[in-house]
Amino acid sequence: MDLTGAFGARSAAVEPCREPPGLESLHLGGGDGGFTALLELPPTQAVELLHFTDPSPSPSQTAVAGIGLDVSPPPPPPLLHSYGALTFPSNSLLLERAARFSVMANEQLQNGNVSGETTTTSSVPSNSNSNLDRVKTEPGETDSSSRRLENDRCGKRKEVDKKVKGSAKKKSKSSEENEKLPYVHVRARRGQATDSHSLAERARREKINARMKLLQELVPGCDKIQGTALVLDEIINHVQSLQRQVEMLSMRLAAVNPRIDFNLDTILASESGSLMDGSFNGTAMQLAWPHQVTEAEQSFHHRQLQLQQPPPQQQWPYDGLNQPTAWGREEDQGHGNEHTTLMAVSENMMVGSASLHPNQVKMEM
Amino acid sequence: MQPTSSMNKEFLKKWQMGLQIFRPSIDNTSVSERKRAIKLSADVAMASLRKGTTCWSRALIQKTASEDNFLVRQMLSGIKEETLINKKLPKVMCHRKIVRRSKKILMRRKSRSAMEEVAAKAKKLVKRKTQGLRNAVPGGEFMSNNVLLIQETLDYIVSLQTQVNVMRSIVDAAAAGIER
Repeated sequence: MDLTGAFGARSAAVEPCREPPGLESLHLGGGDGGFTALLELPPTQAVELLHFTDPSPSPSQTAVAGIGLDVSPPPPPPLLHSYGALTFPSNSLLLERAARFSVMANEQLQNGNVSGETTTTSSVPSNSNSNLDRVKTEPGETDSSSRRLENDRCGKRKEVDKKVKGSAKKKSKSSEENEKLPYVHVRARRGQATDSHSLAERARREKINARMKLLQELVPGCDKIQGTALVLDEIINHVQSLQRQVEMLSMRLAAVNPRIDFNLDTILASESGSLMDGSFNGTAMQLAWPHQVTEAEQSFHHRQLQLQQPPPQQQWPYDGLNQPTAWGREEDQGHGNEHTTLMAVSENMMVGSASLHPNQVKMEM
Repeated sequence: MQPTSSMNKEFLKKWQMGLQIFRPSIDNTSVSERKRAIKLSADVAMASLRKGTTCWSRALIQKTASEDNFLVRQMLSGIKEETLINKKLPKVMCHRKIVRRSKKILMRRKSRSAMEEVAAKAKKLVKRKTQGLRNAVPGGEFMSNNVLLIQETLDYIVSLQTQVNVMRSIVDAAAAGIER
C-alpha cells in the first residue's frame, strides 16, 4: 500500500480480468466505523449473474426475454428505495437482467473482460420496459467504445478503467438484490466507481486526508500550502527542527554547571507539589509555553547563528531589567516566580529576535 | 492539539527520575557525557509518557536501550520493560537496485501520455517524501501503511513539543540561576 495510491492518482497495471469483488472478503466496514462510504455488494447476485451469463446466450433466450419484456403486464415493482434497500425481484426480473447482462457479457467476454460486478445507481431506476430497452442499448454503445479504448492502451490505467466501468454500470444497473447484511448503504457519487476495491481505497484516502489536515493544523505555516509533497516537506522539516532543538537544549543544559542542573531538578521536584499545583504557576506556565511554541524556531535559529557556546550573559540582555524585581520576590516564593519572570524575559528576547527569523529560516532550510 | 500542562508535568517528573540515576556519577567530567545522559533520559521520559501504545515510543525505547540498557530498565521499572526491550520488529528489506531495475523495465513497456507522466512524477515525489518522513520519525520503517505513519507523526510531534518546552524552561531557569 503506498501513499501515492491514496493521494489520488493510481498507478497503472491491473490485470484486466478481475474476479467479482463481491466474492472477495467484504470486510470493508469492519475496522473503521466512521467511514460510511462502504457499499455492500451482494455476492450472491454476482454469482447468479455469472451463472446466467455462462451458458452461451442463444438468440432464442434473448428473444424469449424480449417477448417476456413486452408481454409482462405490470412494470416491475420499484426496487430502489431511498438508500437502495431493495426487495427481492421475481424470476422474470432475473431473466430480464440476465438478458441485459448477457448482451453486456458477450461484449465483455469478447474483449476478455469479465466483470460480474453490480452496482447501485444513483439516479436511474429503470423500471419500465422502455427504459430497459434504452438502457440495453446504452451500455452496449458505451461498453464497446470503452472496451475499444481500453484495448488500445494495453497498459491501461486503473482510474480510467474504473471510471468507464463505473459510468457504464451506473447507466445499466437498475435493481439489485439486497440481503440483510450489516453494512451501511451509501449512494455512489456521480462518475465514481463503486466496486469494493475503489471504495476501500476511497475510505483509506479519506482517512489519510483527514489526518493530513490535522497535521497541517499542527505544523505552523502548513495550511497555506497546497499539495501533499510540500506539506510533507514542511512536516519533515518541523520534526527535524524539533529534534535538533532537543539536541541543542540538552547540550546547553550539559554545559551549565552540573551541580546546578541536577540540583535544580531536585529543587523543582521537591517543590513540585507546592508549585505546580498552584494555579498561578500552572496558568503562568501554560501561558508562557504556547508563546514559546510559536517563537521556538526563531530563537532556535537565532542561537544557531551565534557562535557555538555563548555564555549565558550574551543571550539574556534583558535580564538586567527584570532581575531586581525577580530576585526580590524569589526569596519569598522560591523558584516559582523565577520561572514565570524568566519566561516573560525569554519571550521578550525572542520577540526581539523575530526580525531575524525569515533569513534564518532560509538559511536553515 | 498542543501539549498540555499535565503532559509537561509528567514529562518533567519522569525526566528528573531518569536524571537521578546519573546523580551518583555526577563527575562525568566531559560535557558530551552529560549531554548524552540528559538527552537519553529525556527521550525515555518522552516515550514512556505514551506507555507503549504508539509505535514510535516503542522504537525510541528500543533505540535508547541499545545505547544504555541500564538506564532504560531503571526508568521503566517493571511495567513493560521486558517486552519493550527485547522485542524487535523485522524490517522490510528490499534490494533497491533490483527493485529499481525492474521498475525501469516495467515503465518502458507502458505507453505514456503527458498527463500520465506528470501524475507519475507527482507520485514519485510523494513517495520520496514519505520515505523521508519514515526516516525522521523513530520506528518509521516498521509502519507498514501510511495512515499509521501519519498518526504516529502527529503524536510524535506533540510529544517532541512537550519535550522541547520543558527542556527550554529548565534551561532558561538554570541560565538565569547562573546569571546571578
